[in-house]
Amino acid sequence: MMDVFRWIEQTPVSIFMREDFYAYFVALIFHAWGMAFLIGGGMAVSLRTMGVASDAPLEKFAGFFPFMWIGAVMAVLSGVALLAGYPAKALTNWVFALKFACLGSGIVLVWRIRYVYFSMAAAGRVLPTRARWMGAAAFLLLGAGVVCGKLLLYTNKMLLAS
Amino acid sequence: MIPHEVPHWMVALGRWGIDTGIYGMMMNTRWGWPIAEAVHFLGLCLLMGTVGLFDLRMMGLVRGIPLAALHRLVPYGIFGYALSAATGFCFVISSPLEYFYNPAWQAKMALMAIAGLNMIVFYLTTARRVYVLGPDDRVPLGARIIAIISLFSWMGVITCGRVITAFRPFME
Repeated sequence: MMDVFRWIEQTPVSIFMREDFYAYFVALIFHAWGMAFLIGGGMAVSLRTMGVASDAPLEKFAGFFPFMWIGAVMAVLSGVALLAGYPAKALTNWVFALKFACLGSGIVLVWRIRYVYFSMAAAGRVLPTRARWMGAAAFLLLGAGVVCGKLLLYTNKMLLAS
Repeated sequence: MIPHEVPHWMVALGRWGIDTGIYGMMMNTRWGWPIAEAVHFLGLCLLMGTVGLFDLRMMGLVRGIPLAALHRLVPYGIFGYALSAATGFCFVISSPLEYFYNPAWQAKMALMAIAGLNMIVFYLTTARRVYVLGPDDRVPLGARIIAIISLFSWMGVITCGRVITAFRPFME
């Protein structure tokens, strides 16, 4: 595995991400914007599913999903760029795996809410208690993913490139 | 611009941080700073998720939700802002020189002031008018401009926050 990391670190993209002053910060900015839209939007949908702002029609929150998609694309592209710079630093850190597990599960739950409960709400049916629990779980998982992301800098044990 | 002498009030602020234990918690513990950073960004996500969505709706990019109903999410954004402000205060207290003379932090504070003033203008001028609008009603131009300023101010706050580490006025 270390050979793969070493190979990635020798690619022009990886060297550019490490050595260009602006590339790293531009990627960081786009990652933060993307995460704020994706996770923030997911948290808002979760809160609504939990019963907050109950007079706002749940199914109409679908209108915010394109912005969350844009956030997701920004977060993934910038995340890949950041990962290319220091692959060993992230991929040997279990907190990185935990971040993805939390974010992935949270996003899947938000999408499940979108496809199961939005149509139910549009039909005027009362949401089951399970929907609230799903919203709460999505909210916590997305929050945990953000926390793990911020802790990456302090939990890595291997850098390789330096 | 770095002064030859540290202003008296800044020294007092740093001392206050040490006396209250904030400095020790942030700088002399393993997890103080990382946890504060995590809470700081969590608060920003909550703010962007609630106030940001409200702004998008007010800009007219999303329809079908009455603004008065969507506004009930805003208190959670304010809670997120409080989390970010409290942790941000801990960062500044722990290393005042690195922040007060950091151009990115100065720009961040300026953008936060713009967002704050913009919010006051919203509540004093257009809030009552937009709360009575129906789910598909067109939002007045003034309110849309306020929403654009709000969204871009907060995106600017995130940008400046991310580049604070690019400027280390006293570490060089």
